[in-house]
Amino acid sequence: MRVLANVIGYLLVGSAILAVGLWVDNYYYFQLLTFIGINTLLAVGLNMLMGYAGQISLGHAAFYGLGAYTTGILGVHLGWPPLVTLPCALLVSGLVAWLVGRPTLKLHGYYLGMGTLGVGMIVHVLFREWSSLTGGPSGLPGIPTLSLGPLEIPGGRPYMFVVWGVVLVSFAMCQRLVHSRVGRALRAIHFSEQAAAAVGVDTARAKLQVFVFAGVLAGLAGFLYAHMVTFVSPSSFGFLVSVRIVAMVVIGGMASIWGSLFGASLLTMLPEWLHVFSEYEVLVYGLILVVVMIFFPQGLTRGMLDLYERARRGKTGSGS
Amino acid sequence: MNAQEEEKPAPVLELDRVSKSFGGVRAAQEVSFSVASGHIHALIGPNGAGKTTLFNLITGIYPADDGSVLFEGRDVGRLEVYERVAAGIARTFQNVELFTGMSVLENVMVGLHVRTRCGFFGALAKWPWVRREEEQARGTALDWLKFVGLEKMAESQAGDLPFGWQRLVEIARALASRPRLLLLDEPAAGLNARETRDLGVLLRQIRTRGVTLLLVEHDMSLTMEISDRIVVLDQGRKIAEGTPREIQADEKVLAAYLGQGE
Amino acid sequence: MQEFLQYLFSGVTNGAIYAVIALGFSTLYSATDLINFAQGEFVMLGALVLVTLWSQAHLPLWAAFPLTVLLVAAFGMVFERVAIRTVRKPSPILLVLITVGASIFLRGVAMLIWGKDAYSVPAFSKTQAIEIGGAYLLPQSLWILGIVVLLVVGLNLFYHRTLTGKAMQACAINKRAASLLGVGTQKIALLAWGLSAGLGAVAGVIIAPITMSSYDMGTMLGLKGFCAAMLGGLGNFWGAVVGGVLLGILEAMGVGYASSSLRDAIAFFLLLLILYARPTGILGKASTQRF
Repeated sequence: MRVLANVIGYLLVGSAILAVGLWVDNYYYFQLLTFIGINTLLAVGLNMLMGYAGQISLGHAAFYGLGAYTTGILGVHLGWPPLVTLPCALLVSGLVAWLVGRPTLKLHGYYLGMGTLGVGMIVHVLFREWSSLTGGPSGLPGIPTLSLGPLEIPGGRPYMFVVWGVVLVSFAMCQRLVHSRVGRALRAIHFSEQAAAAVGVDTARAKLQVFVFAGVLAGLAGFLYAHMVTFVSPSSFGFLVSVRIVAMVVIGGMASIWGSLFGASLLTMLPEWLHVFSEYEVLVYGLILVVVMIFFPQGLTRGMLDLYERARRGKTGSGS
Repeated sequence: MNAQEEEKPAPVLELDRVSKSFGGVRAAQEVSFSVASGHIHALIGPNGAGKTTLFNLITGIYPADDGSVLFEGRDVGRLEVYERVAAGIARTFQNVELFTGMSVLENVMVGLHVRTRCGFFGALAKWPWVRREEEQARGTALDWLKFVGLEKMAESQAGDLPFGWQRLVEIARALASRPRLLLLDEPAAGLNARETRDLGVLLRQIRTRGVTLLLVEHDMSLTMEISDRIVVLDQGRKIAEGTPREIQADEKVLAAYLGQGE
Repeated sequence: MQEFLQYLFSGVTNGAIYAVIALGFSTLYSATDLINFAQGEFVMLGALVLVTLWSQAHLPLWAAFPLTVLLVAAFGMVFERVAIRTVRKPSPILLVLITVGASIFLRGVAMLIWGKDAYSVPAFSKTQAIEIGGAYLLPQSLWILGIVVLLVVGLNLFYHRTLTGKAMQACAINKRAASLLGVGTQKIALLAWGLSAGLGAVAGVIIAPITMSSYDMGTMLGLKGFCAAMLGGLGNFWGAVVGGVLLGILEAMGVGYASSSLRDAIAFFLLLLILYARPTGILGKASTQRF
């Protein structure tokens, strides 16, 4: 069952992207889909941490930014090719996640929220104030487009394919994780850290691993973002961006990999569909978070299904 | 292989003058006893006597203030909880702590955590040996479910099972870590008379598999029936130790229980 | 020396404001075990409502002040009823997300109402700045300090001398015991939210004359208030004052002697340091938790 549903999922998403790539010829749609892909990467990574392991992070944009800035700085200042900056970007975001995660993940609940938020803020201040390296508040322009060796991958259609290839591969990776010994341990931690430890799980280690994994995925998203927009600035990696990633996870449903895709798509397209929306963007994110958390703590997709089930059961009247 | 050990049972667990206090409350005061290999050993005492505290000290939820905990002759007092599980000490909880959002089978498979090796990269790469290990883990977990009689429920959500079955799943999960010492915190609490009888049978079966048992239990008839040896605690102190018959005749024990009004 | 004194004055003034915000965190935490990530938004509401009452409704400041506090406190209570009590299975992660959502939602609403402009109100009194050792102390600073001391004394009296205050404390110590004593925990939670929101509003009102107020001022102030509360020990009222003033002085010195770009980083470094260095202080409960 599970395997079949997943195969259908991959086929659907893959063919949707292919269809757009083959039959649509509109740069704007390619850009939009690329953005959705990047946001999906961010959401799925955070979902591993928040949805599966139950550890909150309000500073996920920091790792996204570290990936993007590492790519930008090495590409612009040193002229390194993307094939070299990619591992550097992953390494930097992963390393920082490891350093920060060791003490931070000892915290629980509210304190973990505050701790990660603080980390996000410090990294953001760093982007803004370390002008000689980052270009300061006005940002760092002139990042080259993606090229893998002699192969140039310009923006638009080819880039969209690359990003979605990466997304699907990372989906597969996350699914392997979830249904492995490691994933079971993480879900056990979500239920109760002390019970998980009592069954033999090294909880500190498991949490740190998934934190670094989420950080590396965010770094990868940052790398892809930097080469897509060819420009990075601090405002793309602030607190609100962290909250937006959280909102994507929450809407799609915690502990749901396909849900992350849904959440990321919705929150990326909403501002595009409703132009007035951009004024109220922040307001709507806030409202979504509050409403979804109060009424559908399982996520919007799951919540809708539950409502539907209840309605159907009410109709057939099998009132047991 | 057990015959020889039963003749001259070596201690699996030795507590030597273990003490612990919380704030001003002395939850355990210089408690010493040892649990012989292959025995069923019971800890009894009125509410607040410090039984759960001792369990938590043995499993490493918190460290003892004083005294030592030896497992198979090795001092485990400084080990983390999960390290003690790896060493061979498993436990169940008074209120049953299953991972409710996971399937019954997955719960037992988490119990196999310390006996399997697949790490983060192994899970991502899914090497052939990882697949094999996963298959084996699944098989072993099913075997343990069969042992407690719940193999049919393997794919159900753990939280959906009736309470008595959840307790059995928890025992299967603890056994999956292949412990040599199993601590059961009030295993009969919340069970009806028939379930309690079945539990007694199950505990004996567990013992024949070479697992030593230490249990906290309020159900006296069950305790007296299955235990080889009983330690009685009152207000953090050991007040008596002996066979069920000796304990039943002990006046201090009687006084402690009467004083409690139980 | 003159420079140092000037930094000290501004540090203590800012610190006193952080202390008031910290008091808001502490009152809520000690009654409900909850940390409100939208606390800073109550401060913002306090400042902007005051601005409106003063400039639009032409109320004098002495009348606008209490009215603002009451309005925001009432809003805090409404928030508790609407967004906190409705949660079916409250867990820290849910409540963090709800209050974070509420925080940016309020920010968005404030932007709609007040726009992106920054506003200011006059100081509470029109007297000249006082010169001490070549440095200038603003009368508003004295107002702020006085109000902080009054608040802490008042809170202590409230908690130790009144029945309601004692009930709140009982609730903080043991919810079950409190409900056995006939203390309505729901009522206490409501009251704590009102009190905490009102304290946030007080911070907003006293800060309005010395800084420009705008819809996005809350987040940073809230975080600094939390940092102050952690420094002094969550739930400890005099601790909140000590923590706030300490943070204010460190910030002022850092800005003065090092670089103004450090300003916001200092609070976060302190926050992380506290969170990491005293994990037993913070997690003390977890280690003795029984199954």
